[in-house]
Amino acid sequence: MATSRSELRNLVKGLAFLSPWMIGFAAFTAIPIGLSAYFSLCNYPLLQPPVFVGAQNYTDLVHDGVFWQSLWNTLYYALLALPLGMAIAIGAALLLNSKIRGLSIYRTLIFLPSLTPAVAGAMIWLWLFNSKLGLINLVLQKLGVAHPPGWLVSPRWAMPSLALMSFWGIGNTVVIYLAGLQDVPRELYEAAEIDGAGGLDRIWHVTLPCISPVIFFNLVMAVIGVVQNFTAPYIMTGGGPARATYFYTMYLYDNAFRYLRMGYASAMAWVQFLLVLALTGLAFWSARHWVHYQGR
Amino acid sequence: MTAIVGAGLAVVMFGPRGAVAPRGCVVVEYWDKFTGYEANQMRRIVNAFNRTVGRRRHIFVRYFSVSDIQQKVLISTASGVPPDVAGMWEADIIPYAALGALTPLGKYAKQYGITSKTYLPVYWRQCHYHGHLYALVCNPMALALLYNKQIFKRDATKLRAAGLNPNEPPRTISQLDRYARVLTKFGPHHQLVRVGFLPLIGSDASLLYLWFGGQAWNPRNSRFTLTSPAIIRTYRWIASYSRWLGPSRVLAFESALGQFDSPQDPFISGQLVMEMQGPWWADAIWHLKPSMSTLHWPKKAELKMPLAQRVKNYAWAYAPFPSAVPGLKDVTFAGFDSLVIPRGARHPRQAFAFIAYVNRQKVMEHLCMMHSTNSPLRKVSRNFLDHSPNPYIDVFEKLARSPNAHAWPRIPIIRQFNNEMTVAAERVALLQATPRQALAEAQRRLQREYDEYEADARLRRK
Repeated sequence: MATSRSELRNLVKGLAFLSPWMIGFAAFTAIPIGLSAYFSLCNYPLLQPPVFVGAQNYTDLVHDGVFWQSLWNTLYYALLALPLGMAIAIGAALLLNSKIRGLSIYRTLIFLPSLTPAVAGAMIWLWLFNSKLGLINLVLQKLGVAHPPGWLVSPRWAMPSLALMSFWGIGNTVVIYLAGLQDVPRELYEAAEIDGAGGLDRIWHVTLPCISPVIFFNLVMAVIGVVQNFTAPYIMTGGGPARATYFYTMYLYDNAFRYLRMGYASAMAWVQFLLVLALTGLAFWSARHWVHYQGR
Repeated sequence: MTAIVGAGLAVVMFGPRGAVAPRGCVVVEYWDKFTGYEANQMRRIVNAFNRTVGRRRHIFVRYFSVSDIQQKVLISTASGVPPDVAGMWEADIIPYAALGALTPLGKYAKQYGITSKTYLPVYWRQCHYHGHLYALVCNPMALALLYNKQIFKRDATKLRAAGLNPNEPPRTISQLDRYARVLTKFGPHHQLVRVGFLPLIGSDASLLYLWFGGQAWNPRNSRFTLTSPAIIRTYRWIASYSRWLGPSRVLAFESALGQFDSPQDPFISGQLVMEMQGPWWADAIWHLKPSMSTLHWPKKAELKMPLAQRVKNYAWAYAPFPSAVPGLKDVTFAGFDSLVIPRGARHPRQAFAFIAYVNRQKVMEHLCMMHSTNSPLRKVSRNFLDHSPNPYIDVFEKLARSPNAHAWPRIPIIRQFNNEMTVAAERVALLQATPRQALAEAQRRLQREYDEYEADARLRRK
């Protein structure tokens, strides 16, 4: 009895210490998630109480052309930004893993842009992409390109421009890759060298398989990130020209706060969640074929 | 280190604070979207109220400059803690009023003698929804043609050769197109260096149909009329510029433009000769490039001169935007920043005392003079017309009083309307779709959204 009383006291103490987190989690995560699921089944203009309409919002989404366009835009951006971004980050990490003078300076330089607030970064890139005064077109013209692209105002170039801009913030990912690279056992390189492997062979057969869990982690995080892309296109293009850069999250935001259709926006948020879940599931499924954990 | 910490503490303890309300006063929270010099101008009005009416009636208005105001008022109203007064765009009045998010102001207005006789009809109508008054005006405008007189003068020979008068603005759309062609300049690689006019730079694409005699909404059968001949003609006109200049050339030009409302703005930097603008832009030019408004005399000296003399001091001028329909004169869109009392505001009576103060003729004229805008009131003083910092204020006064002064269609989905019309115009300008295709698509989407909105409203009423 005495033991159970002390156990109970400990339980109460434990819960008391945990309660700030639990209350915070309930108030700011669990309850809003539950409510958004309910609102997605309601007509809810935010300024009046929600009215239950069943799956109406979800069936409306299927017939909404802008929904499909924004979804396609987001996936197109993901196809451009994800693989290229990962390749550039791995490349940068490999370069920064070599023993050269001033290494810490280069590492800092690569990492610095990721500290820039997203809005400030977007403003800088607005100027860089300016076709008359921007640095990018200036360099292209010096290289002999007579008619460099209109970047953000061209329906063809606006999305690649945003993808290009996303590489600016790869510093975080590079640091994670660098940590992974430091963990690759030296003896594997030595063994590969004895077997006659060249530099590229060593990267392909030793480095990449060894850091594949890190690549996998970054892939999952990047998938979640690109599907939620909002700030840069919102500031730089506003979704234009002619909805060429109108992302899924922008349409969701417009529905929630400009068109006062919170129920519809909630349904979009749940579709987005399912999309991320499906893409992450796909990544996990494919991981069996290309992710190698040491010691297994 | 100690000194820095000490200085920091001193600033926290004794440093500047927000305006402190006198004891016993009801504090009215006022949120508005104005920032920078416009916020300072509004603060002057607030301070004047606090010193006079506020002191007598124990009301203290506290002004907050709020970014993204529509979203913040929405969330605060939905959560039941809205400000007492909110400065919103006229386009939000109907959507918010339709959802019962605004306090009806009719009974307060009556107490202060504010009636339809006080206001110009085009503004008064927009303050109402289903017969109830929900807002009053604080910063009105009407759209007109803004043109660069200096460039007209510089290219006078070319204009005359084309049979156009360099001392006059265009009076019809076909004249506007001819002026635009003469004033457009190409670079050595045939790139655009300067454009006379481009329909989608500076103008609100979703309103251009007004100058073609179009109406986008039929209230009798609650249907959009976007594929009506006048609106299709408007969009054909937009496409004609792309066909003339080539979409890629226009895109290249647009991508090189600086930001609107900055010293790099295309009109201010001389890359755009004519555009559709509101009167407030006169104030913006003054702040962004004062030399364009002081060609001969300093501002102070100029304000004492007669109007005919004053206009010589400016590199720019306003005129009514030309119409495409013969005989259709003084067409404009008249919009405004509104003052509303959100539902659930704690001090609606005191809040209205402030709104009514802003709407006194003298105060309104003072505010409009600071913003360089026209007045929304029927009565305007001679002093206002003669000494507004905007020497073309008479153009706007005339436009706002015109029977052809229009507003947004009276529908609760104005934001969607604006968005769909703009996207349709962009598609047409990029030659991605014909005017009929783009407008039919916009019509289909908007009609569906409106019908759904009405169905939801019916469901709610049940």
